[in-house]
Amino acid sequence: MSMPGGLRDLLKAISSSKSGIIGVAILLIITGVSVFAIIFVPFDVVSKWNNPIFWLENPRVAAPEWVTFITGKNIPSTIRIPPEKFNKYEYYVEASGLKYITLDARFDFNYDDFPSELTVILYANYSKSRPLVTIKLVRPDTLEATLYKNVIDNPVVYFYISTDNAIKENVYNFLLILGTNTNRTIYPEKCLFAINNENMGNSNLAQILKGSYRIKIELIATDESDTANAEFISYGQVQGLAGTDYKRHDLFIGLVWGAPVALAFGLSAAIATSIIQSFLGALSAWYGGIVDEIVQRVTEIYMILPFLPFLILISLIYEINLWVLIVIIIALSLFGGVTKTARSVTFQIMSEQYIEAAISYGASKLRILFLYIMPRLLPYIVANIVLAVPAYVFLEAALSVLGLGDPLVPTWGKIISDAYSSGAVIHGWWWWILLPALLIMITAMAFALIGYALDKYANPKLRER
Amino acid sequence: MKRVVFLILTLIASIYLTIIIANAGGLIDQIITSQIKYDIRTNLARTPGWSQLPEEDKTRILQERYNLTIKAKGLDKPFFERSIIYLYDALTLDLGRALFLTSASGTKQVSVIILERLPRTILLFTTGTIGYSILGLYLGLRMARRPGSIFDRITTMFAVITQAIPAWFFGILFILLFAYQLRPLGISIPFGGMVSVPPPTDPISYVLDVMYHMALPLFTWIFSIFGSWAYITRNLAMQSSAEDYVMAAKAKGLSENQIINRYILRPSLPPIITSISLSLISSWQGAIITETVFAWPGLGTLFYQAIESLDPPVIIGLTVVYAYLLVITIFILDLVYSILDPRIKVGIR
Repeated sequence: MSMPGGLRDLLKAISSSKSGIIGVAILLIITGVSVFAIIFVPFDVVSKWNNPIFWLENPRVAAPEWVTFITGKNIPSTIRIPPEKFNKYEYYVEASGLKYITLDARFDFNYDDFPSELTVILYANYSKSRPLVTIKLVRPDTLEATLYKNVIDNPVVYFYISTDNAIKENVYNFLLILGTNTNRTIYPEKCLFAINNENMGNSNLAQILKGSYRIKIELIATDESDTANAEFISYGQVQGLAGTDYKRHDLFIGLVWGAPVALAFGLSAAIATSIIQSFLGALSAWYGGIVDEIVQRVTEIYMILPFLPFLILISLIYEINLWVLIVIIIALSLFGGVTKTARSVTFQIMSEQYIEAAISYGASKLRILFLYIMPRLLPYIVANIVLAVPAYVFLEAALSVLGLGDPLVPTWGKIISDAYSSGAVIHGWWWWILLPALLIMITAMAFALIGYALDKYANPKLRER
Repeated sequence: MKRVVFLILTLIASIYLTIIIANAGGLIDQIITSQIKYDIRTNLARTPGWSQLPEEDKTRILQERYNLTIKAKGLDKPFFERSIIYLYDALTLDLGRALFLTSASGTKQVSVIILERLPRTILLFTTGTIGYSILGLYLGLRMARRPGSIFDRITTMFAVITQAIPAWFFGILFILLFAYQLRPLGISIPFGGMVSVPPPTDPISYVLDVMYHMALPLFTWIFSIFGSWAYITRNLAMQSSAEDYVMAAKAKGLSENQIINRYILRPSLPPIITSISLSLISSWQGAIITETVFAWPGLGTLFYQAIESLDPPVIIGLTVVYAYLLVITIFILDLVYSILDPRIKVGIR
């Protein structure tokens, strides 16, 4: 009987099997992404991810940009007209004491589909009384829709053209004037960009009107020093490499940052539990007697205890973050299947001659355990670590799906759980679930493939009989 | 005999640990008592005439009601004393009453709540476990017949990859596929719940409706596990096919099926039976996350509801039932082995 030797054999086992090489290759890519994330995306994830204002300029649930290449359709991306791109005309009329400001910008809309949302942001600067604001959209067919005409309440106003009820009412009137009556819900972002025909008010049948649009904002203010700037955003339906979610997060950043978190979490939990369980197994076999009896009984008790329910219970009662979670996982898996296997492997090691030699020259029991037995267990421990990582990555995801994960750090599991609870499955926002799911699966697959190459180390009984 | 004593001690210790952890070492008591106090106070404040009462009357009534509720819930004794009572009740399978959860029939008896959910979990997960065991056994033996063949290698890779991915994860992906992506093709498979709302009235269409709802979770459960089963069976069969007596049987000119049935399958049966019986038992516990993903109202969901509403009696009840089943099965397996294989003696491991 020959026990597989040291770590060098382990590397040989990986490099001599196809699955091992593929696994390592995938793992290197993921590690590369992690390093890339840490170095090149200087991004304070935790605070920025949870700050909605930071993501304001992204469209809601937009698909990844590369969808355009697959569908062959020119899906709109976000058009943002910053304040400096607006043409500004202002003049003051002494006689009436009124100041007229006109902000005007053109944009080309040549996409095959409608924008997902429209927003105008107005930064007004007034001293005495509030200015009267008129917002108009001039279409390529020279029709002019008045979206808003009222006095503004604040110096900075966000006009959510797609959701604001007053604006919807104005768009409805615009349709009425054109002779298109509809009792359907009005979607301004569709009606305003639709060809003028009887389907204009029908969001399902409306056809897109391509061409050059103009957004015109007119202010009537009361003081000569009053001025205003504006910003216009026509949100698209595609964004970035990985799309966006319901809270407008750029998923690419979340996914890239998920890699180091997943690796760190999975590896640290796997390393700690494998080492502890193996050590206790070796201890149990080497000392024998009462120690063996106790470790074996405690292992059996641990195997009856419902691990996942306890973990859920603890994360429910105490607000825990990712790293406390690891500590709890380790505490709940001090003993387990690995303890039993490590014990039987240790029995095999104990029967070897160099242990006998060590005993005969008078090495202490503890010395033999740490310097003679544990190093021989190392390949087995490493193989187990590799095999255990996916389970912990998925465990974090499972807790997230139950709503018990770390509420602040964007992990792959949390992105999936957000998608799941926002009904991404039913609405068909596939990228929001599929991309993080693919990443988790690829990571798990990498470890599984390497683990398969190390099978004979992880299941020593399997090959030796 | 020694084995039996140890099994019983293991059972007692694990149930007691469950009681401690499920009550978070008494912390849940504090949460519940303060909740009770708050409920009583808000209830009384809504009663007409409450504000006119003198202050000492208010305190007295509040205290009286509080004491009564605490006593009714059995929270008046110290936690340690109660944990011992809980242990005794649990061991005698007197599961007691839930604090908050009720069964559909309206009782708070934990045993009724569990029994109400059990058939649903058995329906889904035990069917699934039997399904993947048979499928895995069949595929595993086929793989072992020609190790290294393309079929063997593909199934092994499938097993290696699927065993790293949990069932609930496949569940989400399949829901995405069937609930949305295939909808334009006219395929719509229900992906949540156990029956339609409202449920059909006549028994036949009710059964059909349940089966229709069961299709996707059952498929997911079998899909995610049968690969690793096939792989385990394959390895066990490979071990026995390397034995000398298989060689001898081959030399005798026995047919391949005879060799598989008599010389390969039979010696690999003990570990296979162990794994099947253990996974059958754990299938009765349901799968918390898979059931949650598919909104399947079984024991897994019950476990989660109990945890969510901080209802220790239900958590303990579920664990006790599971622990009993597990320990009894281990004992029976030991007995069966000692009968099957005289080399194994109960008590010596």
